[in-house]
Amino acid sequence: MNHTLSILLQNEAGALVRVAGLFAARGYNIDTLTVGPTHDPSVSRLVLTVQCDEAGLGRIMQQTRKLVDVLQVAHPAAALAA
Amino acid sequence: MTTSSPPASAAVAVAHPSHIAVPASGAEAIVQVLADEGVEVIFGYSGGAILPVYDAVFRHNALHPREDGGESMPLVVPANEQGAGFMAAGYARASGKVGVAIVTSGPGATNMVTPVRDSMADSIPLVVICGQVGTASIGSDAFQEAPVSNIMGACAKHVFLVTDAAQLEATVRTAFTLARSGRPGPVVVDVPKDVQNAAIDWHGSGELLLGGYRSRLRTVEQASLSDTDCAAFFAALAQARRPLIYAGGGVIAAEASTALRDFVDAFGLPVTTTLMGLGAFDTADPRALHMLGMHGTAYANYAVEDCDFVLALGARFDDRVAGVPDRFAPGAKFIAQIDIDPAEIGKVKRVDWHHVGPLTRALERLTAYGRAHAIAPQLSAWHAHVAGLKRTHAMDYDRASALIQPYAVIEALNRHTQGRAIISTGVGQHQMWAAQYFDFRAPRHWLTSGSMGTMGFGLPAAIGAQFAHPGKLVIDIDGDASIRMNIGELETVTTYGLPLKVVVLNNSGDGMVRQWQRLYFKGRFAGSDKSLHKKDFVLAAQADGFAWARRLDQPAALEATVADFLAFAGPAFLEVVIDPDAGVYPMVGPGASYAQMITGDFIASRKAAAVDEGATSHMF
Ligand SMILES: Cc1ncc(C[n+]2csc(CCOP(=O)(O)OP(=O)(O)O)c2C)c(N)n1
Ligand SMILES: [Mg+2]
Repeated sequence: MNHTLSILLQNEAGALVRVAGLFAARGYNIDTLTVGPTHDPSVSRLVLTVQCDEAGLGRIMQQTRKLVDVLQVAHPAAALAA
Repeated sequence: MTTSSPPASAAVAVAHPSHIAVPASGAEAIVQVLADEGVEVIFGYSGGAILPVYDAVFRHNALHPREDGGESMPLVVPANEQGAGFMAAGYARASGKVGVAIVTSGPGATNMVTPVRDSMADSIPLVVICGQVGTASIGSDAFQEAPVSNIMGACAKHVFLVTDAAQLEATVRTAFTLARSGRPGPVVVDVPKDVQNAAIDWHGSGELLLGGYRSRLRTVEQASLSDTDCAAFFAALAQARRPLIYAGGGVIAAEASTALRDFVDAFGLPVTTTLMGLGAFDTADPRALHMLGMHGTAYANYAVEDCDFVLALGARFDDRVAGVPDRFAPGAKFIAQIDIDPAEIGKVKRVDWHHVGPLTRALERLTAYGRAHAIAPQLSAWHAHVAGLKRTHAMDYDRASALIQPYAVIEALNRHTQGRAIISTGVGQHQMWAAQYFDFRAPRHWLTSGSMGTMGFGLPAAIGAQFAHPGKLVIDIDGDASIRMNIGELETVTTYGLPLKVVVLNNSGDGMVRQWQRLYFKGRFAGSDKSLHKKDFVLAAQADGFAWARRLDQPAALEATVADFLAFAGPAFLEVVIDPDAGVYPMVGPGASYAQMITGDFIASRKAAAVDEGATSHMF
């Protein structure tokens, strides 16, 4: 299933690479990716879509939360459904 | 620990130590943060892009001698940066403190990749400082430039590329916090040469904000078990008749062994540990089942088959333990898991109860709750069963062989060390024999590359451990192939006058690879036979300054040689020519369940022993 994740990231050199690298290293294929500024210049928002099952989604969200530069990982569809 | 004596010019500074030197450059700031963090030894190799930091270390040591006149932060120089990384890791594993390595840019940093990845995989706290080409040259394919933040970013807990000297002090301090907090791991700080040389204003305190990391850390660290959580745990335990603790390296990382022993004293659950968890619970305790998994003891693995309740502590159901997750602990009606890392909960195996938080506090809380509610599981039948398993399926081997059996070598060493020596290993059969046949009576006595399984780990890790514990007996149990990977570090042992003991179990090649080739590739030993190799290990050790270096090839001389070897006061090297066909048993093959474990010719397998077990196994 296709999932959209919204990730808030500290705007540090290499932070985007680490998120993309984590997904690649753990066998997830990112289908689309956009990065943009937020009202706080030190924080960027990264929106990506990825194909995986529910269990896989939970695992990759947990792993993403382990990245030091990551402030927040959200799955808006799940939040809406809840 | 001996290091080079300070030069004459430094002696002047020694006579008039200045305590008011305030760091004025990036390099000085790095060294001052290390000193403030209590770093007592640095492992590393110099080079162009890190020279300012090396110079600052030199000046710091000249200015701040220890009370006994020694250097306060000696630099230990390996043969290869990989050696420095594993020394720092061995130091960290043996001491529980953060290990520190400092290397130059490009090849210095890339030689450090393996120990960084190894430490990440085994959750070992390191701070690695790498020199980098000047900020103006980054991205220009400069001499000795490598994309360290990309490379290390993929395998470390975190990497910082510091391009603003004003951030350097706080960044290095933060690296220590990151390395040791939560689930520990290696943190790399990449520092361009101009940042090392830049003038800075020293603050003396302050760290980077890292809002996301810190708020997640706070949540985990403050997590505690509610009465409801405890009640649910003990309600499930009350239903269990055969509960088992499966303890991993997390128990050691969390310094939770005492809390674990108190929990076991209170409720009586037997304990099996992973390879990484050896020493988390005294293996000589009657309730200990030693190691489980692919090469675990038969009795531990059968206990996992038989149990009806699993409490996983700082353990992650990895593929060497739960090769087939669905068939791991098939009789367990309830699995409970406690870990510091939320990502490990249910990652491999669904669990019925879990807690994410500091292990010591969680165990203390459960123990207090259980005691307050007078919970006393009646486990005498299960204890009798476990004792029966240990008796019936004890570790054993061919004791009548004319060739030296590796198991006998470890047993002979263990008779002297009694589970109190620090043991490091390479990777392969010798690693598994050491894990199986040594006793481990306390944590941080067993240093092995568990998750990465990196050959070459043993010797440098032992060196690092000896720096952490100068007065302790440290033994590297190595393989003839593994030791070749970092054999340059033999000279490091004698350079620094370390009394460590090196044992090479020589089976003429990659024994573990041959074991798999025998089982799965019809005995075609592609690339794993070294019987025609020319190396004379004893001569090699002598050439590197080992005054005690011997080869043992007569079984009758085993006891006396081992005694003499361990009694030698300085560095000693013992090559033991072992039976090249000796195997590691038991073995749970890839894709097999514990019930399908092969036990070899000398350990009773369940089918053969079914009759003996009748007395206690009726309860299943
Ligand atoms: C750096 C590295 N390369 C390759 C391997 C694969 N490997 C695992 S065990 C082994 C053989 C090790 O031989 P030795 O050190 O002599 O130990 P033995 O199994 O003979 O006791 C090899 C090649 C590894 N673990 N690490
Ligand atoms: Mg070998």
